[in-house]
Amino acid sequence: MEKILDKKQIDDWIAALTDWDVHTPVLEDGIWTYQPVNSAVRGAVRLDHPNTNQSPKGFAFPQREIFFSFEQIKGEPPRLTQILPKEQRHAVFGVRPCDGRGVPRMDKVFTDHVEDPYYNARRKNVAYVGLACNKPPSPNCFCLSVGGSPVSTDGLDVQMTDMGDRYFVKAITETGKALMSVAGSFFAEPAAADQKQVKQVHAEAVAYPQRKINDPDGAPAKLKASFNSPLWEEMARACIGCGICTFLCPTCHCFDINDEVQSKAPLKGQRVRTWDNCQFPDFTMHSSGHNPRENTGARLRQRVNHKFQYFHENFGMHQCTGCGRCISGCPVGIDIVTVVNKVTEHAG
Amino acid sequence: MINIQDIRDTARDMLAKGEVRAVIGYRRGSRGMLAEPAFITDPAQADDLVWDPTCFHNLSLYLVEDRKFLTHVRKTANAPIAIVTKGCDARSIVVLLQEHYFKREDVYIIGVSCEGTGVVDERKLAPHLNGFQASNAAFDGDDFVFITAEGEKRLPAREVMADRCLECRIPFPKEHNAVFGEDKTGRQLAEPFAALTRFETQGTAERWDFWSHHFDRCIRCFACRSVCPMCYCEECVVDSITFPVTTETTAEDKANRIRWIERSAVRSENITYLMTRAMHLAGRCTDCGECERACPVNVPIRLLNNKMEREAREQFGFEPGASIGGPSLVASFLDNDPGDFIR
Repeated sequence: MEKILDKKQIDDWIAALTDWDVHTPVLEDGIWTYQPVNSAVRGAVRLDHPNTNQSPKGFAFPQREIFFSFEQIKGEPPRLTQILPKEQRHAVFGVRPCDGRGVPRMDKVFTDHVEDPYYNARRKNVAYVGLACNKPPSPNCFCLSVGGSPVSTDGLDVQMTDMGDRYFVKAITETGKALMSVAGSFFAEPAAADQKQVKQVHAEAVAYPQRKINDPDGAPAKLKASFNSPLWEEMARACIGCGICTFLCPTCHCFDINDEVQSKAPLKGQRVRTWDNCQFPDFTMHSSGHNPRENTGARLRQRVNHKFQYFHENFGMHQCTGCGRCISGCPVGIDIVTVVNKVTEHAG
Repeated sequence: MINIQDIRDTARDMLAKGEVRAVIGYRRGSRGMLAEPAFITDPAQADDLVWDPTCFHNLSLYLVEDRKFLTHVRKTANAPIAIVTKGCDARSIVVLLQEHYFKREDVYIIGVSCEGTGVVDERKLAPHLNGFQASNAAFDGDDFVFITAEGEKRLPAREVMADRCLECRIPFPKEHNAVFGEDKTGRQLAEPFAALTRFETQGTAERWDFWSHHFDRCIRCFACRSVCPMCYCEECVVDSITFPVTTETTAEDKANRIRWIERSAVRSENITYLMTRAMHLAGRCTDCGECERACPVNVPIRLLNNKMEREAREQFGFEPGASIGGPSLVASFLDNDPGDFIR
């Protein structure tokens, strides 16, 4: 299904999605974040953002997920109550292609071998309405290097393309068709000229220069061969061990599980999953005190190899989608493009 | 006017003579105009050093890292480390020296004056560049000059400078072994604590709303702590492991460790984290502003630290990092303390 939507009617489309909570990028406090289209945003959705500060991965994999609550009253068996996410449909507008490509990667982790009930409960209720990148929204974009493209539809339910005063809107999945059908009257059939124009816009988008990983195909083997390279420590010399790179990443999915105790007598609380971060010094710290990833070099290697080697070995694709957030966000200039290029070049 | 070649020559000479084991400075990174920390041990690499308005980083953080590493591997250093510092960074080193974190002879301070300006705030700069990314940034008197695909863009520094620099009172590293640039102490680009003063004109309810909003936004990546040279504790209250674990540590000790702050990034925990950090920086923060710059979600962390700094200044006339022999705020006592309860 391919349609044309007058830009002035995007608000009408969103208003018609009464069964959905709609989210759109909003500029607040100097950063773009997904916010619900409520009274403050309604009527002002413009989709003129570069990319959001954080990826949309939190819609299916929030930073904090409550698994169950527990209570132990003396003399009674412990009571556990599973807490599944609320059944509510979310339509996320303005998703950039790199973030769209993050979705099937997260799906691999949480649905391929093991079905994660919490992830799944959210995921089945999220629709991603993508926005193609007519030009790279960040100077650190490199989607073309990792098998993506500024017009990729991977992971998206709908793809929108900005054509000046109107959008070219294409349904990618059944969910996408449903989203468009609810507001059928606002859409027009594309004319031959529109088809021609969208092809032109996409061709220009793909031709736009980006940053480049020189040998993405060779990376898994070369990284594997470079496990003990002294380059890791050298390149991570400035790393401060914060969580920016992974917390902003559309595909980082490591988590920690803790019991948050609200009262000791009676013992009461919740078991909670939170995002974890391989750059934190206590990530994978053993209870013996031994830490297999003792320094910043080993932790940088973990992050990069997970994206470009381990994930590739497990699922046959790079985990990185080239959004460039980890590069732009790093306070000390650690740059995954430079790191991968340097290591792979030295691997010969 | 600072000639970067002078700094490079100093670095090269000292490395060649073995007077220092490394020079920590700034070099051009791979992300457009931005400088990044450089760790130079080979004299031939001294020419990589740069000095421009993107030299934000407070590199004294890496002196702390170096000290931690040496302690960990039980080694002593055979020579000092040289470090390029701005005024605020040099004051951080003074605080670390006051706290005996390392010795004065362990560090060779290559001071650089910010002269009439300071460092750029990327968030202020962005709207001036028409969506272009600068590939180079340079000081030129009271201006900053940026190079973009559109050509040269010259801007009055004060329009795009970081607030911390506008409000800086002493843009000169008084404590140094060598120093470059003119001492422009006394310049007044903005009132000290201007942002804080503006903020405090609001009522309690507005301020609470403001902070609730920002505490809710914190994602607890801990960049503010990690980038701070003063946050050097081996055991930080926010970490899941808040005490050193050894082979002697029993399972019970580990199971019963005190968890001061839950891992969830929710308001109660975020407040505890950010307020604890602010308190621990009282009298120690030299307003290098790195915490606020590093924050990926723009939490105005400087306001918290500024508040503590101004309290110390108004109550006790205390200036963090003023002199190595000077007292530290929380470990000193004044006979004329303004508080009756303590005299």
